[in-house]
Amino acid sequence: MPELSNDLSNITHQLTFTLNVIYDVYVIIIMNMSQVLPDVQLKKGSNIMVYGPAFTGKSMFVRSIFREFIRKGYGGIYVLTRDSAETLMEWLDIDYSNKYVKIIDCVTKSMVGNVKDSDSIKYETVMDLTGISAKISKFFEDFWRSGVRDIVVIFDSLSTLLMYMNLQTVFRFLHILTGRVKVAGSVAFYIVEDGMHDERTIATLKQLFNGVIEFKEENGKKYIRFVSSFTQTEWREIVVEENRVVVVV
Amino acid sequence: MKVITGIPVLDDVIEEIPEGKILTYWIDPEVEGNVFAMQTLFTNLERGCKCAYTTIAYSPEVAIGEFNEFGWDVENYENFSIVDLYSGYVGLPSNCQYNASPTDIEEVNEVMKKVIENFDVVVIPVSSVIDVCGEDSIECIGEWYDFAREKESRLICTFVSWPYPEEIEKFVKNNSNAVIRVGGVHHRVILGYYYGVVKVDWKNIKSKAILFKLVKPGGVRAYIPKILVTGPYNAGKSTFVHAVSMRAISVDRLGTTVALDHGHLEYKGFSIDLFGTPGQERFDPILKMLGREALGVILVVDSTKPETFPRAKQMLEAVAHFGLPYVVAANKQDLPDALPPEEIRKKMFLPEDVPIIPVSAKEGDGVYKVIDALLELLTGSWWVKENEPEVST
Repeated sequence: MPELSNDLSNITHQLTFTLNVIYDVYVIIIMNMSQVLPDVQLKKGSNIMVYGPAFTGKSMFVRSIFREFIRKGYGGIYVLTRDSAETLMEWLDIDYSNKYVKIIDCVTKSMVGNVKDSDSIKYETVMDLTGISAKISKFFEDFWRSGVRDIVVIFDSLSTLLMYMNLQTVFRFLHILTGRVKVAGSVAFYIVEDGMHDERTIATLKQLFNGVIEFKEENGKKYIRFVSSFTQTEWREIVVEENRVVVVV
Repeated sequence: MKVITGIPVLDDVIEEIPEGKILTYWIDPEVEGNVFAMQTLFTNLERGCKCAYTTIAYSPEVAIGEFNEFGWDVENYENFSIVDLYSGYVGLPSNCQYNASPTDIEEVNEVMKKVIENFDVVVIPVSSVIDVCGEDSIECIGEWYDFAREKESRLICTFVSWPYPEEIEKFVKNNSNAVIRVGGVHHRVILGYYYGVVKVDWKNIKSKAILFKLVKPGGVRAYIPKILVTGPYNAGKSTFVHAVSMRAISVDRLGTTVALDHGHLEYKGFSIDLFGTPGQERFDPILKMLGREALGVILVVDSTKPETFPRAKQMLEAVAHFGLPYVVAANKQDLPDALPPEEIRKKMFLPEDVPIIPVSAKEGDGVYKVIDALLELLTGSWWVKENEPEVST
């Protein structure tokens, strides 16, 4: 067994998402993250793809990030296409009345039919991109009106959309969503499964993002790195446990 | 049978959708605009028209659920049908008489034509058809437009303005006899919603833009954010607010308002918030503050007390520099010495075009005529000129 460092939530707990004004641009600097993603700086308005093969810890990673953002006072919008809102809330261990968490559940409605929306959980079907888009926009408005200006969006995952809809359609949808994230000065993470789509699809999608957090598996070991047009980090080995991602020291 | 949109204000403007016409709701991708088509369908369903609703992005059950959320029990109407283009796509059997799999565009074409021939009003989510069936399906959609004209059916289309190629947008726009834009008032996030007439080829009309809210149940409600009710001390402002509101509260001390009256009413498709101001001069700063956010003013005067008119005029001036439209409620008309409206106009030197409505707030007489007069001002040319929200791309 490799020696393990703290789990990701502990690591991210040490992180401070400080807001610095650099040339009038707010930049979120993820500090102390050198163990996982050294020197990764995410500007406000960033759209990040989280890309890798199945079972390499992508979902766990974004959930940890999401939880951490919420703890830091961010408003969080989580779009689910594979798990129900109930499952996520359980995992997050967050009270349903938490006003910082908003979920769009694109699973439950297709399974059990009509479900009533609440203030923090909206139900859509995965093919109804207009519905999803309008609900995300509504959540942005809700946060904005309640004074929450820092917002993180998680889309888990784009691959499900691409199972039902053609690339052009998904691209158009993302064009609007990434634009909104940019204009609102938020940060968004979008999961894409490696191995499910052809190269053209991935290349097309990448145009919409500011960077990619990549996961890979080699010889039974899992790795993570961050790539953008400005920077590329080293691969770091990770281990994915039942409810946490662990960095191998 | 006359077919209408069922949307507040819109029906006053375009009156009806004639046979063989195609009306397209042109929807901002971040706005819940499908409800416009649903509301048009249900309005005409209730009027006895044969209506069909096409669903492609979700199941017929979910579609009916969406109608129900707005209080529209479509499933109880015999003249209602769903065209199910969803079940076939996800590999489920369909319970609907009209169904097709969007993977087979010929089959879809055949079913849609049958529906267009057999129904008075057909709702088609044009952009969703393009999304699912691909951009080539636009040719088929063109056939449906032509077929509807030929068979004198009405198509109510939704077109969500995702960044489609320009030729698709042009094709849809040119083929629609009416285009109603449903958009968002964009800031860094969307903070409000509006709809407006872009084109109607069967009637010569001026463009209009109306703010709206979605109410569940209820649907589209034209939205007038704040109406200020002002006037001199003891003119009857609180009584007026209470007389027209469904629910109202006043904060008062010794029978006079010292803070605010607030009332809310749902009227003719509008959702209206009324704010009554205190009449005493020491509260004038509040008046200015409210004036900044209000969209219209109702000036309540005591028709029996001409000596208060200068004060009324002064209050009007306090809010006038915000450029708000106003109407005058000539109150206490139930009293024997009340001056008639024209007398008040003279004494207050009010222009001819300012509506002065005789009311008795106490008896509730004429109060809704005041609201009518203000709504007319708000949705008329002033609204368009000053409040046309920036059209987003």
